Amino acid sequence: MEYLPTLHVHRPATAEEAVAVRANHASARYLAGGTDMVVNIRRGIEQPEHLIDLSDIEELGGIQASANGLRIGAGSTLKDLADDRDIRRVYAAVSEAAESVAGPTHQSYGTVGGNLCLDTRCLYYNQSEWWRDSNDFCLKLKGNVCHVAPGGSFCFAAFSGDLAPALMVCDAEAELLGPDGRRRTPLADLYRDDGMDHLTLKAGELLVAVHLPPPDGDGGSGYAKSRVRSAIDFPLAGVAVRLGLSSGKARTLAVALTAVAPRPHLVEGSEELKGRHVDDAWLDDLRDLVRAQASPMRTTTTKPWYRRRVAGALAAKVARRIAEG
Amino acid sequence: MNETRPVAASIGVPTPLVDGPDKVSGRARFAADYGFRETLVGRVRRSPAAHARIKRIDTSKAEILAGVRAVVTGADVAASYGVLPIAMNEHALAKERVRYRGEPVAAVAAVDVETAAKALDLIEIEYEALPAYFSAAAARAGDALRLHDDKPGNIERDVHFELGDVAGQLAMADLVREETYRNAEVCQVQSEPHAVFAEYDAERDRLTVRPSTQVPYYVHLMLARTMNMNQSRIRVIKPHIGGGFGCRTETLNTELICGLLARKAGGAVRLVSSREETFVTHRGRPETDTRLRIGMMKDGRITAVECEVVQRGGAYSGYGIVTILYAGSLIYALYDIENVKYDGYRVLTNTPPCGAMRGHGTVNTRFAFESLLDAMAHELGLDPFEVRRKNLIQAPTMTANGLLVNSYGIPQCLDWAEKASGWRERKGRLGPNRGLGMACSHYVSGASRPKHWTGEPHATVNLKVDFDGSVTILTGAAEIGQGSSTVLAQCVAETLDVDFGRIRVIASDSAMTPKDNGSYSSRVTYMVGNAAIEAAQKLRGILTEAAARKLEVRSQDVECLGETYRGGSQDQGLSFEDVVGEALVDSGTITVKGTYSTRPESHGGKKYRGAAIGGTMAFSYAAQVVEVSVDPDTGEITVEKVWVAHDCGKALNPLAVEGQVEGSVWMGLGQAMSEETRYHDGLAITGNMLDYRVPTIVESPPIEVGLIECADPYGPFGAKEAGEGSLSGFLPAMTNAVADAIGVRATELPLTPERLLGLLERTPRGRAAA
Repeated sequence: MEYLPTLHVHRPATAEEAVAVRANHASARYLAGGTDMVVNIRRGIEQPEHLIDLSDIEELGGIQASANGLRIGAGSTLKDLADDRDIRRVYAAVSEAAESVAGPTHQSYGTVGGNLCLDTRCLYYNQSEWWRDSNDFCLKLKGNVCHVAPGGSFCFAAFSGDLAPALMVCDAEAELLGPDGRRRTPLADLYRDDGMDHLTLKAGELLVAVHLPPPDGDGGSGYAKSRVRSAIDFPLAGVAVRLGLSSGKARTLAVALTAVAPRPHLVEGSEELKGRHVDDAWLDDLRDLVRAQASPMRTTTTKPWYRRRVAGALAAKVARRIAEG
Repeated sequence: MNETRPVAASIGVPTPLVDGPDKVSGRARFAADYGFRETLVGRVRRSPAAHARIKRIDTSKAEILAGVRAVVTGADVAASYGVLPIAMNEHALAKERVRYRGEPVAAVAAVDVETAAKALDLIEIEYEALPAYFSAAAARAGDALRLHDDKPGNIERDVHFELGDVAGQLAMADLVREETYRNAEVCQVQSEPHAVFAEYDAERDRLTVRPSTQVPYYVHLMLARTMNMNQSRIRVIKPHIGGGFGCRTETLNTELICGLLARKAGGAVRLVSSREETFVTHRGRPETDTRLRIGMMKDGRITAVECEVVQRGGAYSGYGIVTILYAGSLIYALYDIENVKYDGYRVLTNTPPCGAMRGHGTVNTRFAFESLLDAMAHELGLDPFEVRRKNLIQAPTMTANGLLVNSYGIPQCLDWAEKASGWRERKGRLGPNRGLGMACSHYVSGASRPKHWTGEPHATVNLKVDFDGSVTILTGAAEIGQGSSTVLAQCVAETLDVDFGRIRVIASDSAMTPKDNGSYSSRVTYMVGNAAIEAAQKLRGILTEAAARKLEVRSQDVECLGETYRGGSQDQGLSFEDVVGEALVDSGTITVKGTYSTRPESHGGKKYRGAAIGGTMAFSYAAQVVEVSVDPDTGEITVEKVWVAHDCGKALNPLAVEGQVEGSVWMGLGQAMSEETRYHDGLAITGNMLDYRVPTIVESPPIEVGLIECADPYGPFGAKEAGEGSLSGFLPAMTNAVADAIGVRATELPLTPERLLGLLERTPRGRAAA
């Protein structure tokens, strides 16, 4: 389906109102920038009868600094993030991730909330209705076979947002509003390892903001993604690294990956790299650690082995860049 | 006294395109912009099956749906169609059998898009699956079912020739090397998806069609054929076109389907293809395997060439026969080569049909040739520029396969590219992971024999002059964004010596303009340009005679100073309007005609079946140097800069020529680095602009263009081809640069980061380029 079906659009003034509208319409979807969702609607992947346009909600906008760190409204655009000097100075990974999303036009429309709640992607899913019908659909939508791993019952569609790993290495928390009120949760807990249902949001919950704690001491962070073209493309693998240094040794280290699994996730086992000198051997070990935990499947035209290898290479590159200041 | 106003020259002056303001301001109307309140929406139901017999089609439920005005199927199609008269094996809507996933099977016209979509779903179609073949090898296997009954082995056409003494000359060579290359299938991705607007007048049985085509005349012919209509009842008007690059050099099924729908509905139908449908309609460059063997002397002289090409052509013939012929014939005419053996196989497969993409047939062979030449030069310790210089053609000449080479700018192109890139100073001194590579290329200025040979001149241009003093060019040449209308206006302005603003171009309306074969194989500037010049010369003769009458002097004594005609230096002269007024006396509106026909010696060879393909009045030539840097950790290549020299004979409009050369390089860059159509069991899995990776502005390198003007004796003001010849050289120049940078030679394109990292990991570090 290439044309937009008839939609009822709601434009609530507050987050509470938005949650109430959502509660009344089971098929309603929240709409922010729409850069991804509208494409999916045109392709017949999403068929909501109601859209809840979040653009009038003041609470979702703005980036505010305080002693507790930074509050980023979920409606902030990726361009807002990329342009923010404080973020660039203190949370470089977040800036770098924001300005690596698609192209400048998408960054002007796409929002933090949209990028964090991005649907998972797969070559066999992000296609037209005719295409998916001709291919007997798939596990994720209308079908009962996975074309990535035929015979399995697990969906490997990859989470492909760039912001999530960058925010995760900066210890971000998500602020959510639902019918039962507000809650905060570590951003990593927003996701689960299931391509069909990768968000842990409860029914009707809205991502309101992301909170970043104040940075601790020296070091820095960065983000890099692999893709065939240097713009437009979703990541084939994305790596965020935060590295705190103390006289040449790794004091703190956090690494998170995107696009290599149904959810973005923190790399485990980085403890062993702490306290060691950040030299070539250290970077080799970091690369191997990341490779071992990147588990992309055949969800893009680029083969999994490359995405795994490049994830490791990018982690080492970003860490070297941070270490060399 | 009238002012003797010298008119600014037109030829050689950078001239913004005459249709530019309309496009920039949004006033230009493309096919999808046509329509009015009653216009119906056309939509196509496509085959989900790669190869199947159609057992049953039931359209009855769709037909009775409120708002549906017409439903058509293969039963409504009168005849097959195809661009080559000898290979018309395609139907606008499948009859009996479907041969690729996405082939049109039925179509509807309805009052709105929702109704049309509903109606499509109501059409019941039953298929009986047949074995399907997605690779050339599978389709050629001994037990494979024939896609077309008259094509045994699923070979659309095999081409074989051996000229000279290939075996002997290979044995004589100091070095013989063989390599196999693979180019992925690519396609054009022009900015405008396919669109058609068709109106049928039932009272008068007349059809008017506005297709997004490069070849309005062929569309006209095929509409008449497939709709069983008299050609005189059809009018084809080409609207503004958003590019073509060859995917519209043949009639497309949607153009015929839209005509069928309009007639059946008795009204106007607009059929706009989605981007995915445009991808599936395809007509791109085929996946190609090239096995190449070259013999070389120690000094770099080429002794003989052996080449085998296998193309996966897709489900129907299209241009296939011509493509496989070009792939062999244009091994010649770039270097002085005598001895060539060629074996080409065009294979029918259950994938969307390929077509005549920019650089038609030559690109993948040229990639192989220039790659192997570079590797052999390296092995012999020779500079790649010197190897080319050892094999130069002495023009004018006739190649061993009968191709006429009248002008040859390769020496100048080589000199320019070598100097501009700093080759001698910089090669080998760029530091780690950075390198320079070079390659040459060429292309025809129009095929000398048209596909539909009728005995007519190759091109006809009419000029009309009337009371208002304007000069109207009436041409069938299809302006598709390449600047053909502008160049014709320049040719006429220059020949008549009139102000450019006096000239209007009316292009491609079968009711008004002379027939033209269309915009393909870079024929328009050369052929239609020459016809325009001839028409303008005739008009100038008429105006001079009129001036002589009025001035009461002999016509040979009339002096034309821009727009002033005078009989002597003391004469106060006549203005252009005065002269036109005199010329109209007794005769009324003036219409003159210019034509152009190619010379017989350019019609190609006769030494093998199909040897005419490649025959042209003039070849363009190009040499380019590409500088790359490579990230060995990720396999990513950055093209840092390109220096490209293009011999276009004479740059009639340097602004447009530079744009064409840059565009060719850029399109080559896409094929070299990232573009690739892929299929999942025949289903186009890259049928969108995310997964089919056309380079973005970020990947686009600075391109320095050197225009070499090696005038062609018969070209319009010496001009030759400008829009295709620089494409194929980019591919090998880039991979040769990668070899220079990191010592691995790519034989498979596109050279994505994944492919390059794979190559690097299979190659021991520090190994020199071999």
